[in-house]
Amino acid sequence: MKSFEYIAPREIKDVFKLLADFNKDAQILAGGTDLLIELRKPSATSPKMVVDISRLLELKGIKEFSNWVSIKPLTTHTDILQSKVIQQFAPLLRQAVSTIGSPQIRNRGTVGGNIMNAAACADTVPPLMALDAMVKLQSVEGERSVPMIDFFVKPYQTIAGKNEILTEIRFPKLPNSAQSVFIKLGRRNALAISRLSISAILQKSDTGLIQEARIVPGAAFPKWQRITEAEKLLIGQKPSKDLFAAAGEKVSEVMISFTGRRWSTEYKEPVIAVLVRRALEACQ
Amino acid sequence: MKKVTIHTSINRKQYVLEIKPNLTLLSLLREEIGLTGTKCGCEVGECGACTVLLNGTAVNSCLVLAPQIDGQEILTVEGLAMGNQLHPLQESFLTHDAVHCGFCTPGMLMSAKDLLDHNPDPTEEEIRIAVSGNLCRCSGYQQIIDAVQNNNVPPLKG
Repeated sequence: MKSFEYIAPREIKDVFKLLADFNKDAQILAGGTDLLIELRKPSATSPKMVVDISRLLELKGIKEFSNWVSIKPLTTHTDILQSKVIQQFAPLLRQAVSTIGSPQIRNRGTVGGNIMNAAACADTVPPLMALDAMVKLQSVEGERSVPMIDFFVKPYQTIAGKNEILTEIRFPKLPNSAQSVFIKLGRRNALAISRLSISAILQKSDTGLIQEARIVPGAAFPKWQRITEAEKLLIGQKPSKDLFAAAGEKVSEVMISFTGRRWSTEYKEPVIAVLVRRALEACQ
Repeated sequence: MKKVTIHTSINRKQYVLEIKPNLTLLSLLREEIGLTGTKCGCEVGECGACTVLLNGTAVNSCLVLAPQIDGQEILTVEGLAMGNQLHPLQESFLTHDAVHCGFCTPGMLMSAKDLLDHNPDPTEEEIRIAVSGNLCRCSGYQQIIDAVQNNNVPPLKG
């Protein structure tokens, strides 16, 4: 590993100050499950200062409010898996997290790290985006909240400034009448990187028609998005296998309009359509 | 590169260490302290050979930066036995022939210990998930699962 200075600030205001002083020469360390691999690559450009926030307890935990749920960024994947609040109000996030890495990775890796690393295969991002999550960024200059849908620029790049740190993720609670699901296609069960995933939420009216639909594919687009074209197909309709299949084909069509035809398209084109259909069926 | 002073407990022994910050917990254990029971496999968190307990929880020591263990407790495979008395899990691994080449064994034992400390009577499915981050290339998984599941079975004698 290349050399760097290391500091573990005791208070968050010291983190703001360090990030302001070192700016792009500083690197935040949380769970380390992505960063340590990165720092060991021979090609890695080494940060001057590694700022270890892993023991700042104020940045850890899941809290339920009347209408929303707040997750602090140092909450580990295991914490999310064990949370009753998440199980009740964001079951698709729980499903997603259960597929990340291995128990050892889930014990150490954090939701904030997963978001800020911004790999296209990050499994917490599509469910959070389907949940209409907001992220809060803080720095010496103040704070701002950004809808997650506007947060990512491209793989491994977000709109967060080098002096900013993610301090909270919050999303509205899913109503009990909503059904949600996360399904992932990996090459094996454990330690599988997402080749494709689908996060879907469906809510039906008393008359059984689809009132609300959200579909966010993972590892499929240059940056995550809700597929509103497919969501619109579903709204106001009665759920059926044909309807869900049509929504799946629409997602496939939209994906190709963004990515073009590349070596993996022959596979991904039919598979993403089927995954969407299966996800919507699971939301019944 | 400024060295960092850390206070830590490794296998119930207190240490005050002055270390370079660009060291993983795995290198600290193996190269600085000489505890080579923890194995170095893939160094990217995929094989689980380097699994240790950090405050009682299984982690890949190759993905923990050594200074991060300041104030924390580490347990490695060397800390399982009490003197000459093997830990019941170690006995169970022997009884069930769950050790072939042995390279994955320290990591398997630590993952299994984390599971059993939190869930003393796990189902087979729970055991499989608990060791899903530990690769065994001799592919003796079934014996390992059996060893974890029947960990109270007294060892065969002679």
